[in-house]
Parts: sequence; C-alpha cells; structure tokens
Amino acid sequence: MIRTEELLLNVGPQHPSTHGVFRIVVKLDGEVITEATPVMGYLHRGTEKLAEQLNYTQIIPYTDRMDYVSAMTNNYVLVHAVETMMGLEVPERAEFLRLIVMELQRVASHLVWWGTYLLDIGAMSPFLYAFRDRETIINLFNELCGARLTYNYMRVGGVKWDAPPGWIDKVSEFIPYMEGKLREYDKLVSGNEIFLARIKGIGKYDAETAIDYGLSGANLRCTGVDWDLRKAEPYSLYSRFEFDVPLGQNGDCYDRYRIRLEEIRQSLRILKQAIVQFPSSGETMGKVPRAIRPPAGEVYTRIESPRGEIGCHIVSKGKAEPYRLKFRRPSFVNLQILPKLLIGETMTNLITILGGVDIVVGEVDC
Amino acid sequence: MKGLFRGLGVTLKAMASPKVTTSYPDVPFEMPDRFRGIQHFIPELCIVCNQCARICPTDCITLTGKPNPDPEKRGKVIDTFDINFEICILCDLCTEVCPTEAIVMTNHFELSAFSRDDLFKDAQWLTDNNTLVRKDNNNIGAPAKGGAK
Amino acid sequence: MGAWLNGPMTWGNAVVIFLWGAVFLMIVLGFVTYAIYFERKVIGWMQFRQGPNRVGPLGLLQTVADILKLLIKEDTIPRKADRLLFTLAPILAYVPAFTVLAVIPYTQKLYFADLNVGLLYYVALSGISTLAIVLGGWASNNKYALLGGMRSAAQMISYEVPLVISVVGVILLSGSLNLRDIVEAQSGGWFWNWNFLPQIIGFAVFIIAAVSELNRTPFDLPEAESELVAGYHVEYSGFRFAFFMLTEYVYVYAIAALTTVLFLGGWQAPAPFLEFVPGILWFLLKFAFIVFFLFWIRATFPRIRVDQLMGLGWKVLLPVSLLNVFLTAVYIEVFIKG
Repeated sequence: MIRTEELLLNVGPQHPSTHGVFRIVVKLDGEVITEATPVMGYLHRGTEKLAEQLNYTQIIPYTDRMDYVSAMTNNYVLVHAVETMMGLEVPERAEFLRLIVMELQRVASHLVWWGTYLLDIGAMSPFLYAFRDRETIINLFNELCGARLTYNYMRVGGVKWDAPPGWIDKVSEFIPYMEGKLREYDKLVSGNEIFLARIKGIGKYDAETAIDYGLSGANLRCTGVDWDLRKAEPYSLYSRFEFDVPLGQNGDCYDRYRIRLEEIRQSLRILKQAIVQFPSSGETMGKVPRAIRPPAGEVYTRIESPRGEIGCHIVSKGKAEPYRLKFRRPSFVNLQILPKLLIGETMTNLITILGGVDIVVGEVDC
Repeated sequence: MKGLFRGLGVTLKAMASPKVTTSYPDVPFEMPDRFRGIQHFIPELCIVCNQCARICPTDCITLTGKPNPDPEKRGKVIDTFDINFEICILCDLCTEVCPTEAIVMTNHFELSAFSRDDLFKDAQWLTDNNTLVRKDNNNIGAPAKGGAK
Repeated sequence: MGAWLNGPMTWGNAVVIFLWGAVFLMIVLGFVTYAIYFERKVIGWMQFRQGPNRVGPLGLLQTVADILKLLIKEDTIPRKADRLLFTLAPILAYVPAFTVLAVIPYTQKLYFADLNVGLLYYVALSGISTLAIVLGGWASNNKYALLGGMRSAAQMISYEVPLVISVVGVILLSGSLNLRDIVEAQSGGWFWNWNFLPQIIGFAVFIIAAVSELNRTPFDLPEAESELVAGYHVEYSGFRFAFFMLTEYVYVYAIAALTTVLFLGGWQAPAPFLEFVPGILWFLLKFAFIVFFLFWIRATFPRIRVDQLMGLGWKVLLPVSLLNVFLTAVYIEVFIKG
C-alpha cells in the first residue's frame, strides 16, 4: 500500500495571481483542493480607525486608497453619505460630472479586471490591450482632476474641478472608440475555445447561496438575481438614464465574465445619454457650511461600485470628525464564498475562481 | 477552432499597428496643467495661517512662523516650512485651502531617492521647485479673497 | 560532410568532427540568443509595445546582457534540496536537447549524422529531458516545483505517444526512418508533394503534440506562471536556471527543424521555377516560420487546464493519430501497391 498524504500549500501572500498580498492556505490531495483558508489583512491600513481622527474632507483621499482600481465610486459613497446626513443639495452639473466619472471608472475597473483575469488564465496579450484602453480613461481623469489613480475628486457638496474646456467632447469621442475595442476583445478572447473551456461551469453557485453569502455586483447577478443599486435604489441621477442590467443564469465564471463585459457596454450607453443631457453651465460646488459637521445620528448609504455594493455607515456625534465610520467593502464580502467554492477544485481552478470573484486587496483589507 | 483563429488574426494585425508606448525616461512625460505633483512654495505669500498643516490628512507639513522683521507691518512671516514626502500623498488639499496660493502644485512627479532623508524637503527646496507650476488652482476650500481673517 | 562521417576515424577526422560540433554549438547558442530576442520583439509588437530596445542598437544585445546577468548571479541551492539531483537536473535536461540536433539534415550535403533510425533516435532522446524536469522539480524540495514536475511528467508521457504515432504516416509514405530519405521522398518540385498536405491529419496532431512537448503556451502547465509561480524551476537561479531556459529554446530549434524536415519538405523549393534559390534558404525560411508560429500562439492563447490537456491527449490526439496511420496504410495498399 502506498501511503499518501495531503499537501499543505501556501498560495500567497507573494504569488503572481493573488492580485496583491492575499494569501490562501490550501490542502491539496494531488492537485485537488480539500480545504482552503483565506488569510487576509496583509494590506490592512486601518482606514476606518484613522477616519475617526480626521474631518470629512480629509477622509476622501483615504477612500481613494481602498479600492484603488475604482477610486471614484469610493469617493462618491463617502460624500454621498455625508450629504445625505446633512441634507445638502448638489448642483446638477456637479452631479452630472460625478456620474460621468463614475461610469468611466466602471469601464476602467472592468478593463483592469478583464486584463488581469486573462493573465491569470495564461493569456498575456489581453492585459496590455486592456491597459492601452484604460490609459485613455486615466488620461481623461488626469486632465480632469490631476491624478491618474487616486483622484480625490469629489467633495462634500460637489466636485473639486469643473470639466476643463473640451473634456466632455473627449469623453464622447471615447465612447465609439471603446465600443470598437470591445469588438476587438470579443474577437481576441470571448470566442477562444481554450478560454471558454477554462471558465464555463467553473465556480458555480445558485442564487440562494449568493444571497446567503451577501454577494453583490456581477457575483450576484451571474445567478440571475436582478439587483443593481443603480436600478433598485437609484442614487445620483441614474433614474434619468436608460440602461439594462445584464444577468446570467448559471452562476459560473463564464457568466461573470459575460456580465462584466456587458456592463462596460451599458456604462458606455449611460455615458452617451449623460453627455447629451450634460448642462452647459452651472455651479460645481453647492452651498456648504464652512465647517462640515453632520448632525448627531447615523446614516448608511450604498451605491453600486464595479465590484458590487459599497456602503458607508457613519455614526456622527455632531463633530467635524465621525464617531465611527464603517465601509461595507464588496471585495471583502464577495471573498467570503471562496472557501466554499474551492473545495474539490484543482489548483488551476483556484486561480480561475479567485480571479472571477474580482477582488481588490486594498479594499478587502481596507 | 474558429475562435482560436480569430484571436490569431487580432494579434497578427496588432503587429503592424502603431505602438502606444512612450519613451518615458528619454522623453519627459507631459502632464496636463491640473496634475498634482510636488508642491512649489512661495514664502513671500505665506501668512502662516497653518491651514495647510491642519488640513493635511497625513500630517506631513510642518511650519513655523516668526514676527515680521519689518516693524511697520503686523502679522507673521514664514520661518521654516517642510514637507515630508515619505508620507505626503499629493492629495491637493493643502493647495486647496491656502488662502494666498503660497503653496501650489507643479507637474513634477519624480521623487525617488536613495535615502529617506532626501525625501524631507525644506522651504528652500520647495521654493526652488519653481518650474511647471500649475496655473489653474481653483482653491474651492479657501475663504474668498481678501477675507482671510 | 558525408565523406568525413563515413571515412575512417583518424585523429585528423576526429578533430574536424569535434570542431564542427563546437561550431554547431555556437550556432545553436546564437540561435537561442536571438530567438529569445525575436520572441520578445514579436510579442511586444503584438501587444502594441516596442519590445527590448535599450541594450545595444535596437536592443540586439538584450539577451546577451540577460545571459551575462544569469552567469554572474549567485548560485543558490536550497538547504533542504537534494544536492546531487538538483545539480544533475539542468545538465540532464540540456544534453539530450543538444544531441537530438545531430540527426537534422539542413541540405542535401549539410548534415551532422546520417542515422538510418534518425527519427527514432530523436524521439527516444528527447524523452530524457522529461526526466530532468521531474528530477529538478523533485530535488528542489519545493511544493510548486513538485507540482510542476509532476504535471510535466504526465504531460510528456501523454503527448509523446501521439507525437510518435502521428509521424508513422510520414514514415509509411517515405519508407524510411532516416530524416534525409524522408526529405528526399518529398521531392517532386511542387509544395503539394510535401508531407503536410497528404498527411494533413498527422501534421495537425504533430503540431499540437509538439507545442505540448515544448511546454509552451497554451500547454505551458509545468511552469504555469499564474498558478505555480514558475513550476519546476522555481528554486533554480543563475546558470542552472539558464540551462533550463537554454534547453527550452534548443527544443524550439529542434522541433522547428524537425517539422520542417518531416512535413514541410526540408530544403525543397515550393515550385520548380524557384529551385535556383539555395536549399538552405528554403530550409531557414520554413524553419523561421515555425518558430514565429510558436511565438505567435504564445502571444494569443490562454493556458489549457491540466485535466483538459490529458483529455485532449488521450481521447482526441491518440485516436486521431491512430486513424491517420490506418488511413495512410490503406492508401498505400490501394493506390501505390495495388
């Protein structure tokens, strides 16, 4: 009789495909995983605790660094929470600018996901194709707010910068450009038989499980649950625009892939309408008291980030600093299903599933 | 099989298409005007109001003032002004609150150094960092001009 | 060449043959150096990049610099590694890679060994490199390396079989295992006399199995970067790593040359009116195309999964290659003998 035993393998925190410093301890029987334990916290910076010593404007740059692939939506969830608490009006032009940058950000974020996911699967070119096009969005942001990754663009009551002359035209030029590139992506990857064989039917779960685990974003919609906060609880100006929420049926990696690509198309659709309706002039900063001191109380606001529902819970005691600030980070919540999904899968599928969940470690550890 | 060949077609076509990379270290990377780079400091404009040090989320600005050497004038003038670029996150808040635009952003972003000590920049260094200064400063957080007190 | 090879083994002949061997080694090293450069350039262009362009004019010295770096790097052996096997593995990988090149004929006159079982010799020796990869993976005492080594063993065994069977059709058609005779059998002036059209099934199976034998994308599972970090050579550094790298690219050379010889007519011109061009140029052209093709698919395809790889090897390629042998035999029996 040959004695066999399980192999304990430490994947990460230094591993090419854990998207940062994320670690999973897996027990392998041959190449089959019998147990997986995610270990997080390598990128923990204590954002929530730090926020208790900072006033609300100072917290905004910290939110940039949570989900650094999608800083605009993080900015928005914080300022939106404070505005809700204080009952502030945001000028229409500012709200339009916010919406445009958030949708551009969604496109950029999904592009990063698309590129790195294909890199995980073993194709190296799509990564650079995606980054070429993401660069266009980054340049737009750089022109708008002077940073390429950590924008610090929104303020309580408005936005820091008005669009520079010609910027809106550049956004409208970007939309057809991106639509063309999406067709190229489909040609390059979406029909590739090897790729489809790698992701179809992998990492399956049903709608009930997804809801039990509190999943959101594409991870939830791939099971067919129609839940997009832009439609379900319209914030900002989303109720003014027509767009579809792409849904899956099987709840596998392929559905998540398809949904994210379709979301890029829908974002472009929203952008197209937003540019037409964009007010030609107006304020970008509402009437905000000199010192931002929300009244004592609590508020929880949530929006749809590219990764799912990002929420901000503020407990205020009427001071300039929050008494307690809590972010509901979609990456962190979505990740919880990982140990369940990995049982019985192979090492190769570990990477496919982890990539399909779409985590940003900065947001997982916050 | 069809999907595989279509993919091959895309990469083959890409081979002949123009390249998108830039020759960065050889050719400087030009940033738009609003770019938030290393700060430029103008001591003559500073009124030592401490707003920048207070708003800084990472506490990287330290400054001290001294009485105005000209006995005719009231107020303070700047004595020392240091930014620690080890922790500065270039968030733009200090330039946003500055009522006199004594601290403004430039388009320079190259900060790498061999020693941490080199990242501690004093007033002189920041004053000499006077090229590519940002023109549009849109300091929305600052009080209206003339009403600083 | 033939005169020397078949002549009596005098001291003078031995020296000449040795010198030719040394010259050939230099040519192969030169090929590897510029194959890596070419690969990086091609993949760069396909990704809207320039590829290496900093070291030397057009980046031509990039690989030279890389090799130099590897050679002067510290040679590390993990403390708990099996020292003997760990040091043996890179050598064991490289030696067969170089020795298989002996049987490749480049032109009518230019060849290094006129072996009547040339093809068998190639296949038998190239199998040894698998052993080296398993050894290296095992001796490193690293779990990723072990997984990579094991994958490699499974993959090589699965694909060696269809690879060999797919060329049986070629052997049947030309009636010889000697690679020179195989090329001669493809003469006739036009490119449709080359084996790749009459043996289209065998050709397809051969190409797939050959890419898999090379451990290159989409079959680069033993070193799957995004899963196993670097696979079997994760613990190797310096010149030992360089040897593994060298092996990989020498096999690229070998497979490209073998494909040219077996299926693309070796030094034959594609049409009678093009026969004025020297045969070596035709050989090099076909050879370069195969090499380019390998780089091209590397830039395009994702990686296949381990179980799918096994399924493809045993359930698709093996039956298809057997079918090819059967069809070829029937064809010969009916049309050529009958």
